[in-house]
Amino acid sequence: MIDETAIVRPDDLILVTGATGFIGTKLVENLLDRGFRRLRCFSRPSSSMEKLDALSERFRGRAEIQLLKGNLLRREDCLAAAKDVAVVYHLAAGAGEKSFPDAFMNSVVTTRNLLDACLQQGVPRRFVNVSSFTVYSNLEKPKGRLLDESCPLEFHPERVSDAYCYAKVKQDELVTEYGKQHGIPYVVVRPGSVYGPGKKQITGRIGVDTFGIFLHLGGGNRIQFTYIDNCADAIALAGLKAGIDGEVFNIVDDDLPTSRAFLRLYKRNVRSFASVYIPHAISYLLCRLWEKYSAWSFGQLPPVFNRRRWHAEMKRTSYSNAKLKTRLGWAPKVSMEEGLKRFFQGCRETGQHA
Amino acid sequence: MLNVAIVGCGKIADAHAYQIERIAGCRIVAVCDTEPLMARQLADRFQVPRYFTDLTELLNESKPDVVHITTPPESHFKIASVCIERGCHVYVEKPFTLNYPDAQRLIALAEHHKRKLTAGHDGQFGHATRRMRTLVQSGYLGGAPVHIESYYCYELGDSGYVRALLSDKQHWVRRLPGKLLHNIISHGVAKVAEFMTSDAPQVVAHGFVSPFLKQRGEAEIIDELRVIISDGGATTAYFTFSSQMRPALHQLRVFGPKNGLILDQDQETLIKLRGGRLKSYLEKFIPPVDLARQYLGNFSQNVRSFLARDFHMTAGMH
Repeated sequence: MIDETAIVRPDDLILVTGATGFIGTKLVENLLDRGFRRLRCFSRPSSSMEKLDALSERFRGRAEIQLLKGNLLRREDCLAAAKDVAVVYHLAAGAGEKSFPDAFMNSVVTTRNLLDACLQQGVPRRFVNVSSFTVYSNLEKPKGRLLDESCPLEFHPERVSDAYCYAKVKQDELVTEYGKQHGIPYVVVRPGSVYGPGKKQITGRIGVDTFGIFLHLGGGNRIQFTYIDNCADAIALAGLKAGIDGEVFNIVDDDLPTSRAFLRLYKRNVRSFASVYIPHAISYLLCRLWEKYSAWSFGQLPPVFNRRRWHAEMKRTSYSNAKLKTRLGWAPKVSMEEGLKRFFQGCRETGQHA
Repeated sequence: MLNVAIVGCGKIADAHAYQIERIAGCRIVAVCDTEPLMARQLADRFQVPRYFTDLTELLNESKPDVVHITTPPESHFKIASVCIERGCHVYVEKPFTLNYPDAQRLIALAEHHKRKLTAGHDGQFGHATRRMRTLVQSGYLGGAPVHIESYYCYELGDSGYVRALLSDKQHWVRRLPGKLLHNIISHGVAKVAEFMTSDAPQVVAHGFVSPFLKQRGEAEIIDELRVIISDGGATTAYFTFSSQMRPALHQLRVFGPKNGLILDQDQETLIKLRGGRLKSYLEKFIPPVDLARQYLGNFSQNVRSFLARDFHMTAGMH
């Protein structure tokens, strides 16, 4: 149900970009379940509309779901998307891109175009920018310390050798800049590793599959999981709650499992495979050697494994969702135990697994 | 110090920037893109001192000696012309120009201004390709090539690129006169062209849309091409482009009157095919041993190049 204090009313128009994605579809469903009746779902022309079509069918007569296909690199498409909207949930991004220019173009240039369109079409009541944990720097943080919303962002994202990290840092900077310079009310949400039925990969924070052998890197680290429904719920709230403009929210669930515990459960419930545990000291040393070799060889092997990335992804860290609970009134509706059960079941049923 | 500028800051510009950085005595002085954010990100990541959104401003203020053009193909001719007229040497990414007359005009312009002009067929300068060129020049083939076969394949699969290309009717590749072929085949054609003597050979081409694309409702994009080329009887060539055949070869086979060569660009191997035959059963036993020895030699050469940090993926640009 819609909270009386929400900044939007049931008939206000809400825009969701990246609406056909893993999180986007669930967010649309969450907003419809909350009683919002006018949603504009923006997606790339190549996206499958199957899930949104199913939602349209389910909410037929109760809600108007506008399916808008386009490309956020085209300003005219952005203008069409932003017209008359009260809240923007901006999920579209260049996820999965290995090329820096491609990731940047599909995250930063698209976001700039959408923000410009919002300025032209009338500033929305809120612009929810969906970011990622990848933007945080762990470099100068002692092992085991809490990573929360007050932690510094990666100040040399180009050195992490992760195109997505670079693009997301720059996207967050851009949104903040537009907020300050043009008065666009924004909220930034940073989901951890979003999991649930339909998610194929195991997050790289647990390990990497190399030449048929899974290198388990996470060990005893807690993995910053958030179940898809819980994540969508938090994102939805970030666009609705009054009095949180300019705030940042990290999204993680309660009872986070360790990497080792997750891997054990995954093997037991989905499929068994060979894995080798690489202790943190060894993985750090390997990252350091790889980084040195990459520099010495002028990038003959790109520095995809490096110390900055190790600090960000491998260093033992604890996480908090206290701000999410106190400021947004969020609580995970699906427990970790139940979430993992559904995830494993989804993997088994579809045959889609890491 | 050679001052280099890059115009066009998309995906391929990164490969250029990495290779320029490797060359002693070269530095990137400026980058340019009509999209300021794209220009800024390239400058930001490669510590380039200036970035521009206007080519004239770049040429006036940064005064580069060399310009690498990595913009969409339809802009190559215009940008290259301006740069050459302003006294710059130019490296143009493939496809060189949109059509043959533009290519001719650009080459004439470079000759007139005594500037160097390069088409971005970096595959022509890999380790194995250079070894092949040396062998051919030393007379290994025993004369001019009799026949050439060039395979240049591209796995379409189910990548994001394919999904975007198929679903977006305004995709930039669709705007090229030759669409997908126009964007890709020049790498493979350049390998044939190197050995043809005529600038205007006879060409018989058969292109069609693969069943893979047809199943996805595509009727415009030709992704299968077979070509017969003849330069008046002296040398003939087959060129094959395929999105579906496996392995997706990038291979050149050159046959002379005495011997032949097989170049595999993916594996960086060069294999000599001797023209003579051994007696009786020896032909069944000795050549496989010789091929094994050659592959081992290629392996050894590749390892040595790697250890000498001279085995970069886009080294041909270097």
